[in-house]
Amino acid sequence: MTTRQEIRRARTAPAGAHARPARPGPRRDGSRRPPFLRRANPLAALGALAWLVVVGMPVYYLVTVSLRTRADYLTAGPLAPPTSPTLDNYRLVLTGEFGRYFVNTAIVTVVSIAVVLALALPAAYAIVRGRHPLIRTGFSMMLLGLAIPSQAVIVPLYLLITRMHMYDSLAGIILPTVAFLLPVAVLVLTSTLREIPNELYEALALDGGGPMEALRTLAIPLSRPGLITVAVYVAVNAWNGFLFPLVLTQSQDQRVLTMGLWSLQGQYTSNVPALMAAMTLSVLPVLLFYAIGRRRLVSGLTAGFGK
Amino acid sequence: MLRVRRRARYLALVAASALALSACGSSGPAGGGSGEVRVWSLQDGVNKAEREAVAAYNKSADPKVKMETFLNDPYKQKLQVAMGSPQAPDVFMNWGGGNLKQYVDAGQVHDLTGALNADPAWRDRFLPVVMKTAQINGKYYGVPERGMQPIVLFYNKDVFAKAGQQPPKTWDDLLRLVDVFKDRGVTPFALAGSQAWTELMWLEYLLDRIGGPAPFQAIVERRPGAWKDPSVLRALTMIRELVDRGAFGTNYASVDYDVGGASTIFAQGKAAMHLMGSWEYATQLEQNPDFVKKDRMGWTAFPSVPGGQGDPKNIVGNPSNYMSVSAGSKDKEAAVRFLKEGLTSDAYIRGMISVGEVPAIKGVEPQLRSGPAPEYGTFIYGLVSGAPNFTQSWDQALPPNVAEAMLTNLSKLFLKDITPQQFADAMDKIK
Amino acid sequence: MQTGRLHGRSPVHQRPGVIWAAPAFVYFLVFAVVPLVLVVGLSFTHWNGLGMPRWAGAANWSRLAEDPTLGSSIRLSLILTAVAWLVQTPISLLLGVWAAGPGRGRAALSAVFFVPLLMSNAAVALLWQSLLDPNFGLAELIGPLLGAPDGNVLGDPGRALAAMALVVSWQFIPFHMLLYQAATRQIPRSLYEAAAIDGAGRARRFWSITLPQLRHTIVSSSVLIVVGSLTYFETILLITGAGPGTATRVLPLHMYITGFQAFEMGYASALAVLLVAAGTALSIGIVRMTGYSRMDSSREGM
Repeated sequence: MTTRQEIRRARTAPAGAHARPARPGPRRDGSRRPPFLRRANPLAALGALAWLVVVGMPVYYLVTVSLRTRADYLTAGPLAPPTSPTLDNYRLVLTGEFGRYFVNTAIVTVVSIAVVLALALPAAYAIVRGRHPLIRTGFSMMLLGLAIPSQAVIVPLYLLITRMHMYDSLAGIILPTVAFLLPVAVLVLTSTLREIPNELYEALALDGGGPMEALRTLAIPLSRPGLITVAVYVAVNAWNGFLFPLVLTQSQDQRVLTMGLWSLQGQYTSNVPALMAAMTLSVLPVLLFYAIGRRRLVSGLTAGFGK
Repeated sequence: MLRVRRRARYLALVAASALALSACGSSGPAGGGSGEVRVWSLQDGVNKAEREAVAAYNKSADPKVKMETFLNDPYKQKLQVAMGSPQAPDVFMNWGGGNLKQYVDAGQVHDLTGALNADPAWRDRFLPVVMKTAQINGKYYGVPERGMQPIVLFYNKDVFAKAGQQPPKTWDDLLRLVDVFKDRGVTPFALAGSQAWTELMWLEYLLDRIGGPAPFQAIVERRPGAWKDPSVLRALTMIRELVDRGAFGTNYASVDYDVGGASTIFAQGKAAMHLMGSWEYATQLEQNPDFVKKDRMGWTAFPSVPGGQGDPKNIVGNPSNYMSVSAGSKDKEAAVRFLKEGLTSDAYIRGMISVGEVPAIKGVEPQLRSGPAPEYGTFIYGLVSGAPNFTQSWDQALPPNVAEAMLTNLSKLFLKDITPQQFADAMDKIK
Repeated sequence: MQTGRLHGRSPVHQRPGVIWAAPAFVYFLVFAVVPLVLVVGLSFTHWNGLGMPRWAGAANWSRLAEDPTLGSSIRLSLILTAVAWLVQTPISLLLGVWAAGPGRGRAALSAVFFVPLLMSNAAVALLWQSLLDPNFGLAELIGPLLGAPDGNVLGDPGRALAAMALVVSWQFIPFHMLLYQAATRQIPRSLYEAAAIDGAGRARRFWSITLPQLRHTIVSSSVLIVVGSLTYFETILLITGAGPGTATRVLPLHMYITGFQAFEMGYASALAVLLVAAGTALSIGIVRMTGYSRMDSSREGM
C-alpha cells in the first residue's frame, strides 16, 4: 500500500476517540439491549418532564413576550398566550442598531476562529511531533494558563490594550479573546493529532515530505473533527463574550451583540417585548447552528469544559 | 449600577425618538486637522438640535465646526483620556462641578470669564443658579448648553383625587399622606430601589432642606468629619423612618428604573408619588403616553422640612451640561465664537425646546409655552429660575470611589442592613 | 526501528521546530502571562485608569485586611459555589443518566434541555431579570411559593443570592448533564446484565453500578462547577449589579466594581491576585484529580 492510499484510508475512517464523541440520541445498537433496560421508568420520565417545565417556561416566556405589544405585556399575565401576536418588536429591533451589533459580533467571531486556528494548529503539530525542549515548556505554560480566570487579569489587559491604542476597537476585543481560547484549542488539537499513526508520518517522509507537507496532507485533513470542534468552541465563546467588550470598548460603532442587548435594555426601558425580540434574534444563529450540527456543537461546547 | 443608569437617564430623555437616535448617525474617527473647531458632545436625543445648530453655524463660519459624539458612559472616559493630549477637542461638553474641576485643576480648561464679561449680553442670558456649577475658584469655565434636570416630586392625580388629597407641601403632609395611601393599599412612593441613585435623591433633598447647601459642600471639599455632620445624620434617620413607615412598600429593592418598573407602577396607580429627575416626564410620555396626555400626572417641588435651615426653593439634580474650551486649543477665539453664536443662538434654543429640553436661558417662558410640553416646561423653568441654590447630583459631584461607596452604603441603609450612624462612619473612612 | 536504517539517506522524520509553536506561545505570553505578571505589579500601585500608575507600596495589600466587603464577598462566593454545586450535581446526574438511555423521546427532550447552554450570559441574565421583576415577571406568580408574596426576590439579600444560584444552575446544568450522559454510555452493559441476573432492581442497579461507575465524572463535574463559579460574575452583574446592598457582591464582582466603577485599579489588582491564586489552586486540583495533562487517556472518561 502506498502512502497516499494509506492516507486516504485513514481519512475515511475517523481518527481516534475524539472523532467519535458520544452521540446524543438513540444508540444504533439500542435494539440489542436486554429488555429490562428498555422498560420505561415513569419516575425518571416524570423528573425529565419537570425539568422540561423549568427549561421550557423561560424560553416560552422569551418567545411569547417578544410577540406581544407592550400594552398587552403590561396588562396580561407573564405566561398568558399571545392572543394577537405581532412582529412589530422584531421590526423595531431590526430597524435600530441591531444590524451593526450583529455584524460586529460576526467579525469578532470569524476573525477569532481564524486566528485561533492559525496559531493553535501549528503549535499542536509541533507539540505532538516536535522534540525541542522549549516546546514542552511552552505547552506547560499553556496548561497552567488554562487556570487564569480572564476577569482576574482584566485590569492589566485594559492597561495593555489602551497602551497599544487598541481601546474601543474590535481588534481590542479579539486580541484577548483569542488568548484565552488558545489553551483549550491547543489541547484539543494536540489530542486529535496524537491519534494520527506514526507510520503515516514515516511513510510520508519516505516520499520526501517535510513538516509543511505533513501538516498539509496529513495533519489538516485527518484532524478535521478536532478543527471543527475548536472552531465551534471559539465561535460560541466569541459570540457570547461579554467581559472583554464590556471593559475594552465603549462606542456604539464597536458594540457587539451582548453589549447591545444590555444597552437595548436601557434604550427600550419598559419595552420588555422589544428586548425579548432582540434576545431571541441574538440566540437564533447559535440555535440554527445547533439544529444543523448538533454533534459538533456539543463536542465544541464540552471542549472547553464550560463557557 | 452606575454604568447602566447614566445611560438610561439620558436615553430616557430621548422620548419616543428611538429613531432619532439612529438617525443621528455618529462621527467617524477623530481626524483633527487644523482649520476646524472640533467639538465633542453626547450622542442622544438633544444632539439632533446641536447638529442643526452646527450646520447652521457652519454656513457662514470660518473655521468650521466639526462635531463628534459619544454615548454617555464612555464619553467621560474618552474625555479623560483625550484631555491633555494633542488629540484634545477644542470644545467639550461636561457636567460642570467636580467633573469640570479636575480639568481646571490640571490647567486644561480655558477661562471664559474674560469673554463673558466682555459681552455682558451673552453672559446675562444664562440663569445664574445654573452658571454657578460652571464657576470654579470664582471663574467661569463653561457655559450651559443643554436642558436643566432638577429632581421633582411627581404624583398621580387620579390616586390623589380618589383619596381626596392634595400633594404635600411640608414634611408633615408627606408623612400623613404615607399613612393615608398605605391604608388604601397604594404604595405611597414608587422607588426603583435596585438602583441606589434613585434612593440618593431622597438624601440629597433632605440634607438640603435640613442643613442647606453647606453640609454637602463640606462633603465635596472632603472635610474631615463632614459625613458625620448632625444634619447628615438627621437626613439619614428621616429616610430610615420613611422606610420603616412603609413609604416605599415592601418590594422596592427589586424594582428597577431602567426596565421601567417604578415609572409603570406609578402610572398604573399602584403607587401615588414618584421622586425622580425631570426626565421622568419624557420617560412617561414614551412608556405610558396616556398617563401624560390625559393629564393624570402632576408635579410639585419637594416639600419643606419644618425647622430646616435650607430654603424650600432650593433644588437638587443635574443643573445642565456645559460646553468648555480646552486650554490647548489652537484657536480659542473661534471656539468661544462658536459657543456664543452657535450654542446660544435663538435657533439652537428653539431646537432644544422642540426636543423637550428646558434651556438654562433667561426669558424663554414664551417659547416654552409654545413648545411640546408648555405646562411642564414652564414649571421646570420656574422651579430652577426661582431657586437660590441648585445642588449637583452627589454621584456626579463626588469622585467615583466615594460615589460608589456612598451608593452601596445607601442601598444598605434602605435595606436596614446598616444604621444612619454606621453609614456616616463608613463614609467618613473613605479616603 | 526502521527510521534508524533510513536515516543516513534522507532527512526522514524531519521534526517540526520550535518555530511552529512560537507564534501561539508568544501570543499567549503577551496577552495572558504578561497581564498576569502586570496584575501583581499593579497591586502595588495607585491607578485610576488614567495617566500612569503611581507606586503605592503595600498600601493596597494592607487595605485588604480592613476592607469589610472583602470578607463578605469571599463568604458569598463560597456560599454561591456550594449552593450551585448542591443544585447542579444531583439534577444533572439524574438527567444525564436518564438521557443516556435509548428512545426518540429522550433524544428530543435532551435537545431541548440544551437550549440554556446556547444562550449568552447576557441573554440569560436579562431574561431572568425580566422573569424576576416583582411587578410584571413571574416573581408575582412564583414569589409566594418562595416566601415572597410581594415578588421581592431580587430585593431581598437572601433570596437574591438563592436566585443567582438557581439562574446559574439553570444555565449550566445542561453542560454537566452532557458529561454524565457521555459517561453513562461508557459503562459496560455486562455489569447491568450480571446485576439483572442477580435480581437487582432499578434503584439497586443505580446505586451499586451507575453511581460508582460515574465517580470520576462526579469529581470532574464538581471541580468544573467550583472553578466555573469564578465566572458567574457576568450573570450577577447584569441581574442584580451586586445588590441589594452587597448581598450578591461575590469576589470577582467586588474586584470588577472596585476597578471599573470606583476606578481604584490598584486595589482591584490586589483583589485580582487573590482571584488568580484561587483559580490556580482550583485548577491544579483539576490537573491532579482528572489527569487533564494526559489528555489522550483521560478524555474518554469525560
